[in-house]
Amino acid sequence: MELVERYVAAVQRELPEDKRQEIGRELNANIMDQLDALKEQQGQLSEDDIAAALKQMGRPRVVAYQFVPPKALVAVEDMPLLKHTLYMVLGVLFVLQVIGATTHWIGSSDGNLIRFLLQLAAGFMEDACFAFTAVVLSFAALNGTGHKLGNCQGKDWSPKDLPRADLGWQHIHLSDIFTDLATCIFLLIVIWYPLWMNPAEFAARSVTFTDTALLMLQWFSPVIVFSVLLSLWQLQQRIWNRSLLLSSIAVNAAFTLFLVVLALSGPLLQAGPAELNSLFSVMQLEKSFTYGLLITACFPGYEVVRDLIRLRQFS
Amino acid sequence: MTSSQLDKMRLELRRGVLVLAVLASLKQPHYGYSLRKQLQDRGIDIDEGTLYPLVRRLAEQGLLDSEWQQAEGRERRYYLLSEHGKALLLQLTDEWQQLNSALTPLLAESEALSQSLELTQSGETE
Repeated sequence: MELVERYVAAVQRELPEDKRQEIGRELNANIMDQLDALKEQQGQLSEDDIAAALKQMGRPRVVAYQFVPPKALVAVEDMPLLKHTLYMVLGVLFVLQVIGATTHWIGSSDGNLIRFLLQLAAGFMEDACFAFTAVVLSFAALNGTGHKLGNCQGKDWSPKDLPRADLGWQHIHLSDIFTDLATCIFLLIVIWYPLWMNPAEFAARSVTFTDTALLMLQWFSPVIVFSVLLSLWQLQQRIWNRSLLLSSIAVNAAFTLFLVVLALSGPLLQAGPAELNSLFSVMQLEKSFTYGLLITACFPGYEVVRDLIRLRQFS
Repeated sequence: MTSSQLDKMRLELRRGVLVLAVLASLKQPHYGYSLRKQLQDRGIDIDEGTLYPLVRRLAEQGLLDSEWQQAEGRERRYYLLSEHGKALLLQLTDEWQQLNSALTPLLAESEALSQSLELTQSGETE
């Protein structure tokens, strides 16, 4: 019967401390009854017979889990809320990371774009890992105290508030909102870099905007601020409505127009004294920047057309 | 339908019914193995990995009373339906009978339909 003792002990090891003795005692009694019944059928049992009977009962861990099923870290009812919280937290962290990486990039003398992107990605990954762990553990801790956040009723709703079934695009994705938000904040930081750069760092930069280009960008800032507010509005609504569409059309039309005008009103970039010797590369950069602006203008332009079509579908 | 699908559905179908069967069997005191044996004799085959944890859960919910007794030189935990369990069993039995009386004609209809389909198919083959 030593095998039975070993089996019961193995099951007990997988059980919570407070249930070990009781379940072990009961399991032992049940196994002994089962072996007795087997003995009645087969006669004296060998060690192999006992081993076979115990094996048929299942692995000790599986048996232990049948008695005390393992609890999920986060309750199933809380999963949608957990996903939503993670999206929101990661979105905010992405925007904050864009702010941090952009100010650092503006402050560095070389202005290396690849380095900026790598720094942005690495910083975001680091923050995201920490935030993911913190959010999941917070949910697990709350669930551990017996609270189910998913059972909260939330704000009142009515079927009349639901979006139309035939307009699949009406739901606004969180990723779209946070991407727009990060882009606008990035632009604001880049445009207003003279404000947070000290003059020595500013002078050390190899390539900067011309005064005219910078002035145009600064005059356009209110539209970018409005775009930030529009993103926050979208975050609150999460469903396209007529007012949001009209505002989006206005902002995107302004972006398209501005980018085209900016591209055509060069020169946009100026080089420091050291770079004047390699004028060709600055001119090349200027040309690339102009084409880049014209290509970029296509995106808000496309969104204007898209939103106009959507607006027609509303009526 | 694949066998795994059938197994899964059978499991779902049996889950609720097993509670009813266990509660009904425990109008008389039983220990784990004797309960399993009784259910088996009545045509309800249930493996120990399902039955013993289920009985413990029902006891923890206050539906069963239990006590350890010495018998045949060995200790055994005997379970018996509690007062709360008895009341619940009555309600569940009522529920089961209502469901059963609603299901029986439905299942008879579907059986008649499958029989007529089989007849049509065999007629076409001939």
